[in-house]
Amino acid sequence: MASVVVAFELGGRPVEVLASPLATLQQVLRTQLGHTSVKDGCRQGGCGSCTVLLDGEPVLSCLLPVQDVAGRRVTTLEDLTPVSGLSIVQRAFLDANGFQCGYCTPGMEVVTKALLDRNPSPTRVEIADALAGNVCRCTGYTPIFAAVEAAAAAAREEAAR
Amino acid sequence: MTVSSYFQPGSVPEAVALLHEHGPELLVMAGGTVAMPLINEGISLPAMVMGLRRAGLDRIERSDDGLEIGATVTLTALTALPDAGLLAEAARHTGSWAIRNMGTVGGNLFTPPPGGDVATALLALDARVEVVGPGDSRMLPIAEFWTGFLTTALGPDELVTRILIPLQTGPHAFLKLGRKAANTPAVATVAVQAVMDGNAIREIRVALGAAGPHPLRSTGAEAAVTGRALTPGVIEAAASAAVEDAEPFADSVASSWYRRRMVGVAVGRALEQLTQSAERGA
Repeated sequence: MASVVVAFELGGRPVEVLASPLATLQQVLRTQLGHTSVKDGCRQGGCGSCTVLLDGEPVLSCLLPVQDVAGRRVTTLEDLTPVSGLSIVQRAFLDANGFQCGYCTPGMEVVTKALLDRNPSPTRVEIADALAGNVCRCTGYTPIFAAVEAAAAAAREEAAR
Repeated sequence: MTVSSYFQPGSVPEAVALLHEHGPELLVMAGGTVAMPLINEGISLPAMVMGLRRAGLDRIERSDDGLEIGATVTLTALTALPDAGLLAEAARHTGSWAIRNMGTVGGNLFTPPPGGDVATALLALDARVEVVGPGDSRMLPIAEFWTGFLTTALGPDELVTRILIPLQTGPHAFLKLGRKAANTPAVATVAVQAVMDGNAIREIRVALGAAGPHPLRSTGAEAAVTGRALTPGVIEAAASAAVEDAEPFADSVASSWYRRRMVGVAVGRALEQLTQSAERGA
């Protein structure tokens, strides 16, 4: 079967790509669309570094054939980053030292955004549950939990304004 | 990537026709959480893959007899079911948020151990599996679904389309022991569904996951508690019987020796949970 054209929405804009059969969303996002925040970690669904939002829900782009997202809404960390400066979640990770090498950070921040959209005041247990699929091998999870809590507080403050 | 064709059938008849045409050459995939890692790693090299996300199998319906769950209903959707007790609990203990958003109830039937926590719950629930072939459809009791490690009673051109779960009236318990608290393969999984008669167990199904080539019923544990109240001595006898029924394997998660021990621990704890939930009248 020849390559196929797949149309979907990326960060609010329509995109069309030419993809080989069973090409993953991750491959297409990185190599064709320049969204390199989507990491090529384990390709096993085990590390969470390729997490993106599909219609607002976290999914692993390494396990998702791009043809399956035709007509749907994809959001990566690039799409959650303001034109200038940082988002509330990004600022909180930076201020709380929520990363060292940064490889897991895009996945962590995408899941954090999805969590805070649903639950503005998550407990530590709820944060741990949301991030259970995102592996960090160098920062340690404590500053990451602190970053999510700080992001939640900042988002609540902004919502109250 | 060696895959030459990726099919996305828009209906069950279309999917079954593709299966009939290509037979075992065609890899069937639902959420992709089992098949895609193997394909990405080059362990599985299918020439053709069929994805079921558009096949219209993602609906949940309620009847007087229970729940009818489409094969591609996600684990996240199961966790949100208010009346699915044991099944919802098993789904919550499976994978991570993103995995639950992708993984499906039908796919869990094909997840090799130590995966298959939802499948283990389905065995305890005495679910029936609707299977559709080219000419007809049939209902398989889930106890007859698995025939060995990664083998099932499915014909080469048959597709799992729905899972039917009879209405439950008694208490349940679910327990998964792993190396981590969440997003972890099981050392041992136990799912129990019971019907009470006062303090005594009138009827019970005890299903073990990660304790053999596929989810298994522990008939020994079931016999040890049926007709009895769950006293500490009865629970201990059931746990010992479950250890005898288990056929544990060794992998990177646990040795078979450790798994065997943990099957006993898990069954004991699950039956204690069951006692508590029976006392609460759940």
